[in-house]
Amino acid sequence: MPQRPQRTNKNIEFRTRNFELRNSTLGVRYSFLALWTLWTLWLFPSAGLTKDKQLAAERQTSALKKEEAELAQALIRQFPQSEDPIVLMGNVQWRQGNAAEALKFWQEALHTNPRRPDVYKAMGWFAMGKENYEEAIINWRKALQADPQIPGVHNSIARALMGLGRHAEAIEELRKDIEISPNSSSSYFLLGQGYSQQNEYEKAKASYEKTVSLEPDLTNAYYGLFTACARLNQHEKAQEYLAVFKKLKAEDMKVLKDRNDAYNDLIDMRQGAAETYMFAAKMYQGRGDTQKCEQLLKRAAELDPNNTVYLMELASLYGSSNRLSDALAMHKKISELEPNNPVCHLNIGVFSARLKQFADAEAAFTKAIALAPESSAGYRSLAQLYLETGTKLPQARDLVQKAVAMEPIAANYFVLSWACDRNADTDSALSAIKKAVELDPGNPRYRQMYELIRKRSSKQ
Amino acid sequence: MKGPIAAVVLLSYWLCSARAGSPIILRDVTKETGITFVHTDGSSGQRYIMETVSAGLALFDYDNDGDIDIYFLNGAPLKGTNPSGATNALYQNDGNWRFTDVTKEARVGDTGYGLGVAVGDYDNDGDLDIYLNNYGPNVLYRNNGDGTFTDVAKKAGVDLGDHVGAGTNFLDVDKDGDLDLFVASYLEFSYDKHVLTATAGFPVYANPRFYKPVPNNLYRNNGDGTFTDISKPSAIADHASWAMGTVCADYDNDGDTDILIANDVSANFIFRNDGTGKFEEVGLITGFAYDLHGDEQGSMGVDCGDYDNDGWLDFYATSYQRQLATLYKNLGDGIFEDVTLRTGAGTGTLPYVTWGNSFVDFDNDGDRDLFIACGHLQDNVELYDGTSTYFERNILLMNTGDGKFVDITEKSGDGMQIVLSSRGAGFDDLDNDGDIDVVILNSRRGPTILRNDSPPKGHWLQVRLRGVKTNRDGVGAHVKVIAGDLILLDEVHSGRGYQSHYGMRLHFGLGNRTKVDRIEVRWIGGGVDVFENVAADQLITLTEGSSKAISELAN
Repeated sequence: MPQRPQRTNKNIEFRTRNFELRNSTLGVRYSFLALWTLWTLWLFPSAGLTKDKQLAAERQTSALKKEEAELAQALIRQFPQSEDPIVLMGNVQWRQGNAAEALKFWQEALHTNPRRPDVYKAMGWFAMGKENYEEAIINWRKALQADPQIPGVHNSIARALMGLGRHAEAIEELRKDIEISPNSSSSYFLLGQGYSQQNEYEKAKASYEKTVSLEPDLTNAYYGLFTACARLNQHEKAQEYLAVFKKLKAEDMKVLKDRNDAYNDLIDMRQGAAETYMFAAKMYQGRGDTQKCEQLLKRAAELDPNNTVYLMELASLYGSSNRLSDALAMHKKISELEPNNPVCHLNIGVFSARLKQFADAEAAFTKAIALAPESSAGYRSLAQLYLETGTKLPQARDLVQKAVAMEPIAANYFVLSWACDRNADTDSALSAIKKAVELDPGNPRYRQMYELIRKRSSKQ
Repeated sequence: MKGPIAAVVLLSYWLCSARAGSPIILRDVTKETGITFVHTDGSSGQRYIMETVSAGLALFDYDNDGDIDIYFLNGAPLKGTNPSGATNALYQNDGNWRFTDVTKEARVGDTGYGLGVAVGDYDNDGDLDIYLNNYGPNVLYRNNGDGTFTDVAKKAGVDLGDHVGAGTNFLDVDKDGDLDLFVASYLEFSYDKHVLTATAGFPVYANPRFYKPVPNNLYRNNGDGTFTDISKPSAIADHASWAMGTVCADYDNDGDTDILIANDVSANFIFRNDGTGKFEEVGLITGFAYDLHGDEQGSMGVDCGDYDNDGWLDFYATSYQRQLATLYKNLGDGIFEDVTLRTGAGTGTLPYVTWGNSFVDFDNDGDRDLFIACGHLQDNVELYDGTSTYFERNILLMNTGDGKFVDITEKSGDGMQIVLSSRGAGFDDLDNDGDIDVVILNSRRGPTILRNDSPPKGHWLQVRLRGVKTNRDGVGAHVKVIAGDLILLDEVHSGRGYQSHYGMRLHFGLGNRTKVDRIEVRWIGGGVDVFENVAADQLITLTEGSSKAISELAN
């Protein structure tokens, strides 16, 4: 199966961007690198435009906003039974700066389906931005009513409570968030803040220490540690933490400056619109309209051409529709954008093999191994190719043995069994497939292979 | 009054006041004043960055007639703007809330692009001079003592040439008895470096990160009407930043004046004076550089005052939208703590861009309240952020006496309901009635003048200092007022808040105390004088080396 490239990309968090990327009040990134929030629109406007270019960009942005809103409107018409398009329209309006309109759509969506924690979350942040802490808390409590285990909402409530100076209650909320998300560095950090506000510096220090154990580069946590240690008269420790803080802060400022200089408003708008197109594509896909889905994904990819997420979606769509050449072409396009991503090459190998372009497949898997020699997937895939084509069988066995040594997982044992079997080593094949079944007992393919080899072995 | 008893009494006082309406009422009397000044930022649609940060104002008695006059800074045409004839403006206080424009007669109608201002008697000749920190050459208006001024900046060596100014302050850095000059700069700008930017498709003013930060300047007064640039030997020039508001104060109570700078989009600075005019930047180690979270803010204005009457000057810094304006409590050991959340001192500020600010005891109850001027800097913010507006209401936070602040903007009179885009703000007793009034400079509009009409208030004392060996107006002098259980502290500052000047006549609210037992004045570069048994409700002059308070203005 094609695999999704592992890549940090804000657009991967598709559903959350519209809501949460522009929130975080009280300065907490928490606002570390500080500021991907609405107010940072001022900090990151598109830079370095000439007047003419700016006018052209303004026209394009205006057209894009219209296009995006029309798409959301069309979804509302096409999917009258679902509140999703209404929520989407709210998000689009929010991103375009029409806060009142956004609120109207969100409320309308809640009228249709009151169990939408994401909408309550968004409305909470909306209230928070207006320093209406009480209203924010009300919305977030409703989000919790809809989904009591939703991560991060107790954290948000804690921020609002801190804004109200109710630090003891904030600490309780943060503890609840940690119960839900035990590795939430954000909640541990805020816990440190809460304890600091109550002059409980030992507890604050412990919370900040836990924060940096979870996220060692969290600049602000070192400021908290510096402050807490200074208050505890642990001056040597305070100086140590201060030194780390200064180093990380200098790096943050550099990142901020680079981001500031590189930011382009039109590109940002296009990225936002691309997400809307992706959302729409998913809705049509859910209805089985792959043609419309493809059309929308293509537009998303056009709007945000450097974002491989949309290309991956297209590749996946083509793969599942048995449009193998299209899928292969798409994976090749992705690999042009991410030439050093081994997963891209694995996917090229997979589709090349399915199209019987074995030499290309072999080259792609070999490239994947070269890019990620520590990962077993490339060795396994290349071995599998040799086994499928009946070539280089001893080499196949060597490759997959290496894979097993690296990662003793069921998939690797399965291919090892296959390789042993093809190399006429039935005992080893039986032993390997037994291991695969042990590791993944629910996999019928492994069990089937096991039975086959066992029977053959017993006949011998 | 101590501990719980004090708290109960203060709470009762506050509750009674609240029941009767707000304890602080600020009435809009702008129309009555005859002031016709209108601010221009010199804009033409090009969106030059300095348009967003203009300007401060000064409140001071320019003609030594016993009342506070008003000096407004103004912008000037920038490239692409037609000449408008706009100038700075001086309004003479005629009493009864009438003011006369005396700009021409006084010859203070600078046509430069005004940003920051400080007032001080740099030549110790008994009248107050004006320093203007402009975009472009700066101006030093020497007061001729006859109601006129002369620009002597070039001759004095402080015109600074082509730069973008910010806050400025007179202070005696080396305790030699004359006023030196600190001049902050915002950033490095030239028309060819101007950046056009956009947000959500709309043109917006660029943020300062697009421009290089620059170091600030410090000038030593040579005592002969000229100054020497000591930025490098003093170590002030070692640190570049995007400076905005500045205030000079003895934050560590070691007897010399330090320099505190609110920096935009970067860590705030404290330049600690070693007593000889050499400085070390200690913002980070003191806890003033960053907010509670360790985040730099888009700091705008900064002022100081002892909000909790613990004998240490605390600092308040305003900031950009969606950052709380921040209260830094002075812990007394050279360390500050951000107590904004704990005290409520940031209440109401989160949605707004905040600028001018000060700790002012508006209701004379013995604790200092907070006034915060607000207004967005993007004139089209509504187009891309439906939660924000260019014009915003200012904020008034009342000190409840127990270390907390409550937002009383809504019920504090029509003056607090005005919605404009404010920048600099000044606080002084314009009608000599014993309470503090407010003057606000609004971007692209006329100013706002607020008369303090608060209901029956407590007693008060105003103190004017007269230096003899030290600088004539006691700039930097530390004044402690003891009235029974109440101990109040203040300093004389030249230049403060958002690039403005005000409050050289110190004001102390005394609550129900009818006399002051003791006043201690610690002069910068001089000794300590003590004045005892002073009646409340008067303006007094305290002269260095004397022990007798001279009454100037009886209530």
